[in-house]
Amino acid sequence: MVFTFIPFMSPQINPQDVFVIIPAYNEQEVIAKVIYELVPMQYKLVVVDDGSAEELDERLQQFPIFLLRHRVNLGQGAALQTGIEFALSKQAAYIVTFDADGQHLPSDIEKLLAPLAANKADITLGTRFSGGISNIPAGRKWVLKTARFINYFFAGLLLSDAHNGLRAMTRPAASAIHIRQNGMAHATEIVAEIRKNKLRYAEVPVSIRYTDYSRKKGQTLWGSFRIFFDILLNKIFK
Amino acid sequence: MNGIQIVLISGVVIIFSYYVSRFRNALLDLVALILFAGLGIFFILFPEYTNKIAKWLGVGRGADLLFYICILFFLFIILKLFSRIRRLEDKMTELIRQQAKDKAREMNDSKDKE
Repeated sequence: MVFTFIPFMSPQINPQDVFVIIPAYNEQEVIAKVIYELVPMQYKLVVVDDGSAEELDERLQQFPIFLLRHRVNLGQGAALQTGIEFALSKQAAYIVTFDADGQHLPSDIEKLLAPLAANKADITLGTRFSGGISNIPAGRKWVLKTARFINYFFAGLLLSDAHNGLRAMTRPAASAIHIRQNGMAHATEIVAEIRKNKLRYAEVPVSIRYTDYSRKKGQTLWGSFRIFFDILLNKIFK
Repeated sequence: MNGIQIVLISGVVIIFSYYVSRFRNALLDLVALILFAGLGIFFILFPEYTNKIAKWLGVGRGADLLFYICILFFLFIILKLFSRIRRLEDKMTELIRQQAKDKAREMNDSKDKE
């Protein structure tokens, strides 16, 4: 199902119709830098502060963004859903999810939008395993490889990268997908929703910057087990 | 009547009256509770009957049978509680999400208005 897009075939997208959702929980050290990189792309930016200890107002007041704040911490899945609902209410045509820890490249968003604009997919998922520059730590790689099959088992789609935070979807796809998993298990849930709603999907190679910071903030092995149990419980208690 | 029977029966009576004082309006619950409490007191007074039932079901002792039933019962309670927590989480998420959307601010823009 993976296909490579051909740039000259894709119609132009007005960046003002694209809403980039950035869920942030205690990312105050890097969020300003991430936003700073994104602003020149002209997309509408929606930062969903998921109840961080430090309010982001002062750090981000210089940027043209929408800032939403959960009063208490709910989890990344909940923050994404909040951002998506907000973007839909602002008449977004395309919605992109983008991690706040600086691991994604703003220039990759364009690649994800191209298949959507060409009407070849309803949702595109970033993958770090097919061609993109990847200096993945060995341990992380194994966790992700395993997660891939867990995703397949629970969601029914075998994707090359189970938990990549970079995704893009059209307005109808975003309206169809409803994330009920507040925690990190939402990544699997989105895949399950793709299948349930029979959305056309495509995987697009993207780069991941493994900085010391993103490594520190990333999933630990124990975190992966917790996600697994979340998925399991969600399957039982639908 | 020996000591343990007095302790157990007074326990059943206290719990029973506590529940009755709280669920006065649900008749079906009340009937179920009376049955349950009555059965409990009966088996406390005549424990040999639990042995009979246990033998009939292929379990050695009445106490063992009770133990197995308790495990099942508590698992059931855990499931009920879990789904209730899940529902509560959903409601809380909905509330916080609504508030976040209502209070969404456009940064860099509000400065001009002030």
